[in-house]
Amino acid sequence: MIPTLIAISLVIFTIINLPPGDYFSTYIAELQSSGEAADLAKIHFLQTQYGFDRPLWEQYVFWVGGLLRGDMGYSFAYNLPVNQVVGDRLLMTFIVSFTTILFTYIVAFPIGVYSATHQYSWTDHVLTLLGFLGLATPSFLLALVLLYLANVYFGISIGGLMDPRYVNQPWSLPKALSLAAHLWIPVVVIGTAGTASMIRRLRANLLDELQKQYVVTARAKGLHPFKLLFKYPLRMALNPFISDIGSLLPHVISGAAIVSVVMSLPTTGPMLLDALRSQDMYLAGSFLVFMAFLTVIGVFVSDLALAILDPRIRLQAGRRQ
Amino acid sequence: MIQIGLALVVALTLSGVSRAELQETPIFEEDVARGKLPKVDERLPKEPAIAELETIGTPGGELRMLMGGPKDTRMMVVYGYARLVGYTPSLTLMPDILKSIDVEDGRIFTLHLRNGHKWSDGHSFTSEDFRYWFEDVAQNTQLSPSGLPISMLPQGEGPRFEVLDQTTVRYSWTRPNPLFLPDLAAASPLYIYRPSHYLKQFHQKYVEKTKLDILVKQTNQRNWAALHNRMDTMYRDDNPDLPSLEPWILRTKPPSDRFLFERNPYYYRIDKAEHQLPYIDRVIFSIADSKIIPAKTGAGESDLQARYLRFDNYTFLKASEQRNGFKVKLWRTGPGSQLALYPNLNVSDEIWHGLVRDLRFRHALSLAIDRHEINQAIYFGLAVEGQNTVLPQSPLYNPEYRSAWAKFDVSEANRLLDLVGLAKRDGDGVRLLPDGRPMEIIVENSGESSEQSDVLELIRDSWRRIGIRLFAKPSQLTLFRRRVFSGETLMSIDKGIENGLATAAMSPAEFAPTSQQQLEWPKWGQYYETKGMAGEPPNLPSAIQLKELYGEWLAAVSEEEHARIWHDILRIWADEVFSIGTVAGVLQPIVVNAKLRNVPEQGNYNWDPGAYFGIYKPDGFWFDHSEMPAKSASLDASPATPQ
Repeated sequence: MIPTLIAISLVIFTIINLPPGDYFSTYIAELQSSGEAADLAKIHFLQTQYGFDRPLWEQYVFWVGGLLRGDMGYSFAYNLPVNQVVGDRLLMTFIVSFTTILFTYIVAFPIGVYSATHQYSWTDHVLTLLGFLGLATPSFLLALVLLYLANVYFGISIGGLMDPRYVNQPWSLPKALSLAAHLWIPVVVIGTAGTASMIRRLRANLLDELQKQYVVTARAKGLHPFKLLFKYPLRMALNPFISDIGSLLPHVISGAAIVSVVMSLPTTGPMLLDALRSQDMYLAGSFLVFMAFLTVIGVFVSDLALAILDPRIRLQAGRRQ
Repeated sequence: MIQIGLALVVALTLSGVSRAELQETPIFEEDVARGKLPKVDERLPKEPAIAELETIGTPGGELRMLMGGPKDTRMMVVYGYARLVGYTPSLTLMPDILKSIDVEDGRIFTLHLRNGHKWSDGHSFTSEDFRYWFEDVAQNTQLSPSGLPISMLPQGEGPRFEVLDQTTVRYSWTRPNPLFLPDLAAASPLYIYRPSHYLKQFHQKYVEKTKLDILVKQTNQRNWAALHNRMDTMYRDDNPDLPSLEPWILRTKPPSDRFLFERNPYYYRIDKAEHQLPYIDRVIFSIADSKIIPAKTGAGESDLQARYLRFDNYTFLKASEQRNGFKVKLWRTGPGSQLALYPNLNVSDEIWHGLVRDLRFRHALSLAIDRHEINQAIYFGLAVEGQNTVLPQSPLYNPEYRSAWAKFDVSEANRLLDLVGLAKRDGDGVRLLPDGRPMEIIVENSGESSEQSDVLELIRDSWRRIGIRLFAKPSQLTLFRRRVFSGETLMSIDKGIENGLATAAMSPAEFAPTSQQQLEWPKWGQYYETKGMAGEPPNLPSAIQLKELYGEWLAAVSEEEHARIWHDILRIWADEVFSIGTVAGVLQPIVVNAKLRNVPEQGNYNWDPGAYFGIYKPDGFWFDHSEMPAKSASLDASPATPQ
């Protein structure tokens, strides 16, 4: 795990430094193109303060050294330590992502199981069609359409996760309600594609299992169809979902960046995109390393979970030793 | 400029005589009664500035605006536009925060502050605040490694600074310094004062080292200078603790997606009915992605919006005007040309280098652009056609400057190109360069907007008729600039000159090779900027002449002299066509809440001079709730919690 992380941090640092210039030159160019003169004295001051005149390897060592101590560096765009910038948005990202995952599971599971057990019935065809539509619709387009409709028919403010007047207010019931009123659009939009692919996977996995002989045997012995389904084939079909947890964790943190940008959600996705574009290197770099770290952890956790849930994996590993 | 000061003094004394009782602002009544805030006449300077307003308003209300990012908090300082001296809507310089200013020979500036003027935290604003900046900030090698700002160094020489008394300071140079006052009045101004009582707690000279070290540690900064710099953000406006003189002051600690600004209880301006300004109690910046801002504005989520709106949003905004209770006004934008082509006089390719330096070649390129077509096709015929130069609203305007070589004349352009020696063509009718390559011009741009590609598309068609092939190459801003600077780019397209509204007192630097940012001669500009350390000296007689004229302008004192030099510059600029203009004065949609008063119907939407809304002084904007009960009254009930 540790060599992986070191390699990842090296790659991230190199890629961020590949485009010409640094945050400050990008910032100066941006200001000048809008006719605004940058305070060159101040920028020069910051450049020397943050060691931009030093060789790259020194900057790298400095950055990684900070990471080890839990210091994620300094965001130039926000003029604040990275920890403070990220902290605020993480909660919103968690809320959006967990609701989305919940939505996906709640919708996809019953449909997936149903269409597998009723293969090629007309209900299966209809649900499959819906699934394909969900998979094929570009999520940013769906986001724009839903935003417009929600604004015109329900009077919900465009973009964001709550009515502007609740931002920075302490939590209260109206604030939570406003959040709920805004939350459903991103959840539906981000969830649609995920739901569709999950239905398909569950259906395919389950179909494989249902053909197997032990199912036929069990059925012949007169086991109740529901008990049969949930006790054996469904459990087998779940394996891919558990191994998915690994990729789920970083997804939860980064949020669905494109949709979040379109809908102007206060999540971490747009922030990461912005940081990459403006070459705010500590913000972008620390963020990416954090995500890589989560992926590694996630893969580890899902491996453990698989071993616990699926005796076959456990036993095979044992045999090899 | 001497007269300006005197005139204002007279105006002030007159108004001082007929003074009625000052009115307390409703939102402060409770605090004053409880003794938390002094009374209004103790908060205001002895001689407050009196605002000339179209209508007298009533105080109160909340102004919502949309911004694209956390860095946009600086727009509050731009819109607020409290400057030592500031431009009026007719672009004359007037004392603003200052009571008056005396100028001798264009080189000795005596600044008179208002007696009893206070910072937003109630501390006095005095000459000490000027001294603190000049001696302890600008001349401190750790805080200002590059020393005094350029506009305070005519010919590299700094001023003599004197504190005459509590409210008077003087800067004297041995040479005239015409850049000084315009820089004080700029949208992003030169701040020559600081809230010293606040910043001293972060300054090495005023605090014990051990105490300061603890503070540095706590705030996670590198050293005391970084800490001081972090706290001293008068323009960026992201430190809620920093005292200010602006009409609205930041109350939200970043990071946030919603920034609250509250009225400054010690603001120095009043209206004629003795209300302290600003009228509006709170300004709110909601941060949203810049691309979603037109949609949000159309949904009625902003009370005053122009930033991030473009002319092509106009129809959409107009359609939702009724439903969401706002009006869309159209103001003129200030650049000399919405988009201009810049042949790079420093291009590295030998053959092209010779060609772009040829006056006839540049004339031919300009003549072969159908500006009328561009205007009709992209701007609904509402823009002003012509070269990249000052606009009709500028006192320096002369129709010839704009129309020179701007008529669409393909046959004349073809004749000129034949004269240059480019008569040979290939099978497709494309002219051939002397070395046999076809004449293909790659126009690079920063890839920021589709507008550039649309305009280039039209130019491509008309240039094809003079045997030149045009290719558009969008890239990325930093990369684009780098390529232009290094001479790899043959031609670029970008915004025209920034200040199309120039007056004689404003600097003509944009018209002379003075900066690397100038896409027509980056290396010559760099040579000037670095005082000959990098770049190349200009070697085209007309460019040298422009540079010399700029030097003359810097040394000149009287307004007539400045105007004469300006006209010389503009004439050369018109003849030489260093940049090829298309159309200018493109309209900017301004969305204004239907109840918001005193926002002018017609205006100029310009960065500098103008500060966008700044010169129209938003402290005088107010909400008229007289006709119908306010729908947003329920919003005001929720208490604002400054963090």
